[in-house]
Amino acid sequence: MNETFVTNWKSQVKKGTLTFIILNVLKENEYYGYELIEQIRKHTEIEIAEGTLYPLMNRLKNENLVSSKWVEQETGIPRKYYCLTDVGTTTLIQMNEYWGNLAKSISKII
Amino acid sequence: MEIKEIKFSQIASQRIYSDYMKRVKKVTNSLSKEDQNDIFMEFNSHIYESLQHKNDGNEIDLLLDIIERLGTPEEVLKPLVADKKLVQATKTFNPVHVFKALVLNFTNGISYVFFFLLYLLLFAFVVLIFAKIINPSEVGMFMQNKSIIAMGYVKTDDNGNAREVLGNWFIPFTLLCILVFYLLITVLLKFKKSIDKKRK
Repeated sequence: MNETFVTNWKSQVKKGTLTFIILNVLKENEYYGYELIEQIRKHTEIEIAEGTLYPLMNRLKNENLVSSKWVEQETGIPRKYYCLTDVGTTTLIQMNEYWGNLAKSISKII
Repeated sequence: MEIKEIKFSQIASQRIYSDYMKRVKKVTNSLSKEDQNDIFMEFNSHIYESLQHKNDGNEIDLLLDIIERLGTPEEVLKPLVADKKLVQATKTFNPVHVFKALVLNFTNGISYVFFFLLYLLLFAFVVLIFAKIINPSEVGMFMQNKSIIAMGYVKTDDNGNAREVLGNWFIPFTLLCILVFYLLITVLLKFKKSIDKKRK
């Protein structure tokens, strides 16, 4: 087995699906950064470089797929909560449909 | 919203935290105050929440672990700063922001280098202004038979029938050219950005 190839391939798959995973995590609930990372870890066992989440969330905001708001906390350190926008929700429906079809096609050949 | 820093029980942890947040500030200092605070607060919140959720173990070890997982500010924040800077540059039309945004985005595509060159070409007009001051008779807007034949430097031997028409007005005219081209290139940059967005 070519282990390096498999490792590289896995990391490409993770990188390519991260946005998709984030949007799906946000489908049910709004989360702040740290919580979002925990959710990704819990559902997918993907370990992401935590700092890279924030530039990615900014891109999703620019694309109008997610929105964010600061919420004051009793501790004095506010949290920034992210949630899907309406555009994000409809975009995700399309993405999930595509993913479903792709998974079906792939399962036929493996 | 007020920025509140995290308080640590050990002096060493406090120093590590302050040093890290100073680096975050330094990396983002070319952005607007609002964006700077937003990024600072988000990293601050991340560190704080991580500490709250992992309250077993030594404070300093936990902090080092959190910071390591977050990554070095210079590296992780680079794409965020480049994105935000470009938005700021095309919104404000401020040449300093434009210059910084282009440099930050060089690694995001050859087109940014092309835009940089376009802006550099504007300096050709600046050179013309100085040339006009030094050599008023051979530099200017030259016309022959009611049509413009050259804007710039024409040797006296060659400009036989050509006539310089703007005189001292050449300098304000060139300044106006710089302004118009600057606005045009920046609008083009803005346009390019929105095409990129649609393609992504």
